[in-house]
Amino acid sequence: MIDKKHIAIIGGGIAGQEAASVLTGLGYKVTILEKNERMGGMLNKWSKLFPDFSSSQLVLDAVKVATDKNLNVICNADIFSVQKENGRFKLSDNSSLDVYADAVIMSTGYNLFDATLKEEYGYGVFENVITSADFEKVHKSGEKLTTADGKAPRRVAFIHCVGSRDAKTGNTYCSKVCCITGVKQAIEVTQMWPECEVFNFYMDLRLYGSKYDALYLEAQKHHKIQFIRGRLSEVSERQGKELQLKAEDTLQGRPLRMKTDIVVLLIGMEACKQNEDLCRDNALELDENRFFKSKNIYNHRNSSTQSGVFLAGSCICPMSVNESLESARSAAMLVDKSLKVQER
Amino acid sequence: MKNSQVNVTKEIADDNYFYLRSCIRQNFFPGAENVFLDILKNKLGKNIIDNANHTSCTGIGYHSDIVPYETYQTMVARQFALMTEHGFRNAAVSCITSYGGYHEVLETWKEFPEEEAKARKNLKNATGRCFEIPENISHSCDIIYRFRHDIAELAKYKLINKQTGKPLRIVDHIGCHYAKIFPDKGVGGAEKNTVLSAVVEAWGGESVDYPERRHCCGFGFRHYLVKNNRSYSISNSKKKFESMEPYCPDMIVTNCPGCNMFLDKWQYALAKIEGKTYSGDKNGIPVLSSEELAALVLGYNPWDIGLQMHQVDVEPLLEKIGFDYNPDEKYLDANGNFMGKPEFIGCLD
Amino acid sequence: MRTMMQKLREDVRLKEGLNACMGCGICTAVCPAAEYFEYDPRSIVVTVQSGNEEKIRKLIESDTIWMCGQCMSCKPRCPRNNCPGLIISVLRRVSQETGAFVKSRLGRQQYLILKTIGTNILETGYCVYPASVVPETHPEQGDVWKWIYDNKEAVYERVGANLDKEGPGAMRKIGRENLDELERVFAESGGQTLFTSIVEYSRAYAKESGFVDANGQPDMEKYTDFLLNEDNDEK
Repeated sequence: MIDKKHIAIIGGGIAGQEAASVLTGLGYKVTILEKNERMGGMLNKWSKLFPDFSSSQLVLDAVKVATDKNLNVICNADIFSVQKENGRFKLSDNSSLDVYADAVIMSTGYNLFDATLKEEYGYGVFENVITSADFEKVHKSGEKLTTADGKAPRRVAFIHCVGSRDAKTGNTYCSKVCCITGVKQAIEVTQMWPECEVFNFYMDLRLYGSKYDALYLEAQKHHKIQFIRGRLSEVSERQGKELQLKAEDTLQGRPLRMKTDIVVLLIGMEACKQNEDLCRDNALELDENRFFKSKNIYNHRNSSTQSGVFLAGSCICPMSVNESLESARSAAMLVDKSLKVQER
Repeated sequence: MKNSQVNVTKEIADDNYFYLRSCIRQNFFPGAENVFLDILKNKLGKNIIDNANHTSCTGIGYHSDIVPYETYQTMVARQFALMTEHGFRNAAVSCITSYGGYHEVLETWKEFPEEEAKARKNLKNATGRCFEIPENISHSCDIIYRFRHDIAELAKYKLINKQTGKPLRIVDHIGCHYAKIFPDKGVGGAEKNTVLSAVVEAWGGESVDYPERRHCCGFGFRHYLVKNNRSYSISNSKKKFESMEPYCPDMIVTNCPGCNMFLDKWQYALAKIEGKTYSGDKNGIPVLSSEELAALVLGYNPWDIGLQMHQVDVEPLLEKIGFDYNPDEKYLDANGNFMGKPEFIGCLD
Repeated sequence: MRTMMQKLREDVRLKEGLNACMGCGICTAVCPAAEYFEYDPRSIVVTVQSGNEEKIRKLIESDTIWMCGQCMSCKPRCPRNNCPGLIISVLRRVSQETGAFVKSRLGRQQYLILKTIGTNILETGYCVYPASVVPETHPEQGDVWKWIYDNKEAVYERVGANLDKEGPGAMRKIGRENLDELERVFAESGGQTLFTSIVEYSRAYAKESGFVDANGQPDMEKYTDFLLNEDNDEK
């Protein structure tokens, strides 16, 4: 009876697509509901991936679900309500779209932290302050990173923990992937500009992945990237748009002042605002960080607090590409298991 | 909860103020306090009371640690009691240290009601007085900010260089205790405070950013109060002047009486020590408070509002604005008699 | 005997100022005192957080706690909503209550502040009072201030102040009944006790250091002179 069962997936990023391809492979009917015009989600914005500089396109191509008679993709579908009706789920968007499903996977992904909220860093005010996402855009275009007036930077500073582990921004959790992104992007800057001095200002380097520390070593050893243990306190602009940084070198126990041409803010991951809407008409809950709450974070990471609704990828918590894909596959398997149990 | 400091809009009462004076402003710029009262009463038609019974809040003693917090809370409670007795719920505060202090006490009381109970008991035992929590605590700069457009309408002058027709380039310095302790109590928050820049722009000037804009003037309480420690104070002011210098400001505007005094006097002291000014001339950069600046655009006689009490001469600024004033009256007393003049005005001979 | 930590914890401001510190240095980064002195507010917070009695005792006997300028620039930056400046206030209170302050040069200066600001408050009702800003000890105030000081009555009158006179206005005379209230507030709320504590520990230190009169009693004039000229040896 599998072929009669229909699963709706909210979010067509890499997690949504990966889950869809597992489920269609098992013979289920699947509808992906993507709020944007195109599929792929946030990964579309990224150029190269840590830790091995693979092109993000590689992953995007690999997750693309083969055209399948069981797969239906609807873009520009901004779902705002999930309701349980007679044992099935009714999903609605702002237009007249209603989709009915036997199970739902949430793969709504994440938002990037809005760096203008961290006012002391001057993003949106000082032209030479950019974010890690801005950097990816430059990298993807094939251009080299330059100052706002088109000059080669002599010095670039990467700032860790922007919008993460920070009660001031309301995000006290660690976004986990920014540290390694900082290492990766720092290397990319030195690849663009071998003469450029590159600094990373960090609080704790959380390089948790199996190959991440090797990249850190490479950054230090081969690219002469310097790591300063101290959280940036403020950026101000000097004449000529040069930037002035204030931090403490906490390993020296002394305040540190630095002039730099470009500052790159490693912005953290936040839960999607739309998650709140999606919880309204059902038993879904958000956790203290506004991500979807799992039934239990150990054994039931992919189960939401609403039976029949499953979680995949970074709508659960910040995740790397790898983790997102793994999470999606395990969510799909869980859907399969639960529908089969229902069947019996 | 999200505690974003972006677009902080604070509530500023629009009438019926109980005025709480500043020790430093009364001492060094008493004319600024008088003209603030005059603008509110006679130009804006507001009700503001100047009460003889209030004393220092003892905030300078508190931050130099000779006054314990419990005493400070009780002194603040006494100011509130005077307000209550006169039927006022809105405080208009002249001093930034007091402003930060009143909010600090109120925040403590919110979080720890037993501290409020203690302050009430102390006040009752010491003075027999009782108080109600004020509805609104605003600084004088907040009130000027709130009525900046009304003042612009009444203004006789704009902050424009009369000769070049260009806006005056004005740098601001926000007293640390205005918004750093409680960012939501300052217009625009702690990082990109707009309480002074909005005023400058409303009156035709250009607000100019500089790297050390948020740095402390260097008062440091005990560091200025003890003669041997004053190098801390002057070196912090110097840092600010060096940072402003490349932007060639026509003047500095402040909201804090202490900062106003230090930025004025340390320019002179630095000139004596280093033989250098940061203004491109020998006079130095004039430093005005928001009260004094409001009075100027409204066309008050500069000598009525006490601008002759500044070490850095304000006359070059008056000339730039094209202000109609009489330099010969600068040192005349209330009866029109010459009262002698300072041996030296400005920074460098 | 109460431990140092207990004494610190009695102050509500320790709860307000210290949640938990992750040692990021964002406070030291922006601290004017850290730029000027060998001073690191982060490490002070870490010491207090450690609860180590011996380290805290050393801290309140040191110059270090007196280096903070109380600007509170640290407050809006801390990612854990701590306020090192407030923790400093608590350390200073305990240092003065226990007499530890006389063991450091900067701590001993509290006696000077008490003599100037404390006296101003109790005698005039103001922290700062024109007659006490004497040009000889305030050369930085410049010639204009000297002129104001020498012509106080006329200058203050000219700009609409009410110097030393009855009624409202700038620099008005604060009436006896108000000063009496102020004094009673100090007596009731611990202000007087702290004043006495600063004076008594300073007298004891003066005596111990040989600043005594013919009767072997502390000579506080000599001691004041010593404090005014006590320079930083370590520098």
